[in-house]
Amino acid sequence: MRLIPRALSRSPRVGRLAIQFGMAFAIAMLAVGMIGFSAADSWVSSRIDASLRYHTAKYLQPVDGHGADDAAVAAKILDWQRRKVLSERTYVLFGRDGTRIAGRLDIGPLPPGFSDVRFLGGGRNYQEGRALATRLPSGSLLVIVQHSEAAASLHALLPGVVLAISLVALVMGVSATFLFARLTANRLAETQSTADAIAAGDLSRRIPTDRLDGMFAVQADSLNRMIDRMEELVRTQRLFSSNLAHDLRTPLTRLRGMLARGAVDGDPALSGTFERAERECASIIAIFDALLRLAEIETGRHPSAMGTLSLRPLIEDVADTMDPVIADRGGTLEVGRLDDVAITGDSDLINQLLINLLENVATHTPVGTRARLSLERDADGAVITIRDDGPGLAAADLVRVTRPFERGAIASAARGSGLGLAIAQAIVRFHHGRIDLADAAPGLEVRVRIPANDSPGPLADAGAAAA
Amino acid sequence: MRFLIVEDDPVIAEHIVAGLGLHGHETTLAQTGSEAILMLDRRPHDAVVLDRLLPDINGLSVIDHVRRQGNAVPVLMLSALGSVKDRIEGLEVGADDYLAKPFDMDELAARLSAIARRNVSRPEGSRLQVGRLELDPSSHRARYRDASAALNRKQYSLLAHLMRNTDRLVTRSMLLESVWAYSFSPTTNIVESNMSRLRTALLALGCDPIETQRGAGYILRSDRCA
Repeated sequence: MRLIPRALSRSPRVGRLAIQFGMAFAIAMLAVGMIGFSAADSWVSSRIDASLRYHTAKYLQPVDGHGADDAAVAAKILDWQRRKVLSERTYVLFGRDGTRIAGRLDIGPLPPGFSDVRFLGGGRNYQEGRALATRLPSGSLLVIVQHSEAAASLHALLPGVVLAISLVALVMGVSATFLFARLTANRLAETQSTADAIAAGDLSRRIPTDRLDGMFAVQADSLNRMIDRMEELVRTQRLFSSNLAHDLRTPLTRLRGMLARGAVDGDPALSGTFERAERECASIIAIFDALLRLAEIETGRHPSAMGTLSLRPLIEDVADTMDPVIADRGGTLEVGRLDDVAITGDSDLINQLLINLLENVATHTPVGTRARLSLERDADGAVITIRDDGPGLAAADLVRVTRPFERGAIASAARGSGLGLAIAQAIVRFHHGRIDLADAAPGLEVRVRIPANDSPGPLADAGAAAA
Repeated sequence: MRFLIVEDDPVIAEHIVAGLGLHGHETTLAQTGSEAILMLDRRPHDAVVLDRLLPDINGLSVIDHVRRQGNAVPVLMLSALGSVKDRIEGLEVGADDYLAKPFDMDELAARLSAIARRNVSRPEGSRLQVGRLELDPSSHRARYRDASAALNRKQYSLLAHLMRNTDRLVTRSMLLESVWAYSFSPTTNIVESNMSRLRTALLALGCDPIETQRGAGYILRSDRCA
């Protein structure tokens, strides 16, 4: 019964997605940075180790076929100390008993092989270095320590570099996502407007694919194929109902002709029967017409002349028309307050809506019922109220009666297609309005609301926000 | 009057021919579109009853063909396609009236007479006077001799339409179409109830020229209010 505003909010929800994507990007970049850093670090370390091995081999080089002895190594160290004042390498020779034989570095003997050491460099600051300890055949221990400025500064750079990489990656990730979401939304905009048009009943629309590429083009093509199929189904169904119309109307025409001839030519005693049969034939046709009409309005196939429609003169006209009809059935029709309201509507359909509702009063209420028709303007638009003081409807019937072929318990004896209220409801829905049935205690109150077209109501606001 | 009936269903065709015969009209029958075009070339007709779905060519194409040859013969399209859209299509292609099947014989005869005489119809703007009964468009009042009565919008339009079609049968559905402009069929007696109010007002004036044709419609007799 209630029209739900299409598309409450259509702004692309990029916010959370962008942050998530940016975070993921930042974490990925952080990992890449750390892998890069450790690769550089291990490369520098391997270069240091190679250099240590090379210098150890150089010091322990055999002289005249004999292995280097303590004295020769100590002499080399002393010689080196004389030549080099500043170097990243330091040499120390320990005796068998662990006493330092040569070299100036203040460290104790180390286990043979590579190890990391801390030592007092320049007598003030502790420095870190890499050491290679090698046992001489004499039992002495040659230790070469290399202090790498490059490795140290690399370690010092680590936190800053990682932080900078992460921040840049976060910003880039978020902006890339925003950009991507924007591009996606732009590409989907045409798809969206096409889908809206189709929802409004225009099955001839297709998503333009000339400006799309990649997955968007694939998706648009597949949606277009779906719409093709839908249109084909609707066409088939329409053809089916036209064929049904033709196939049923033709025998009904023959039947009506035969009955008419029977009434004229036949036995005078039977002419009453022929006339009743002809009337039944007419009511079959009436139900059939009403059903086709309902289907037309509901599927948006009714050729409507939507335009600005001033409701007041239309309601006065309908009241003039229905006043004698209701009076002939023993009731009265009063016209209450009539405000000036304009809607966007089809006058033929609005006429049918009001006639159907008033015919309901005329047909389904007892003699003496008074009905009142009024038109008010409220913040949302036009409110047309038809209120009678008849027996009304049971609470359960209030919902049921707007469905096709349903009637209130009291009215079931009365004639009619049973489609009047269903058609009324379809017409109101077609005009983006709503129809409510309420107990007027006593009687029934039917309230039709249709948005006005001269000022934006809440529905128009929702539409504008969606656009 | 002489009418051409274009209908492929033999039962319905016979019903139309017999019915129009009872109303005193001559008829020629064509069973296909091409036959109809041939017959319209051969001799003039006052009006054509044209079925929309024919075995060879579509009724719409027949009208199109006839109109392009400069033949302005009034055409009533008879069709099993009865939606508003079908009706608009028929009228747009050049039919003068459109009647959905199944139809009432009196309805068909009345509508045929109306379109056949359309070229001699009184224009809308002319003075509305029949005998001494007069209708004033500015005040919506009916006058007869010295008496006058106020009519509401519907009563005024009803009387005006009948006066423009004096001495011709006007059916209920014709009135619903031209006075109310409704494309749907009301389930109550809208025409009868409003007509009865109009006739009460005219009787109070002293002259009611409207005659009810039982089951068919109404005729306003020009000789009643002399």
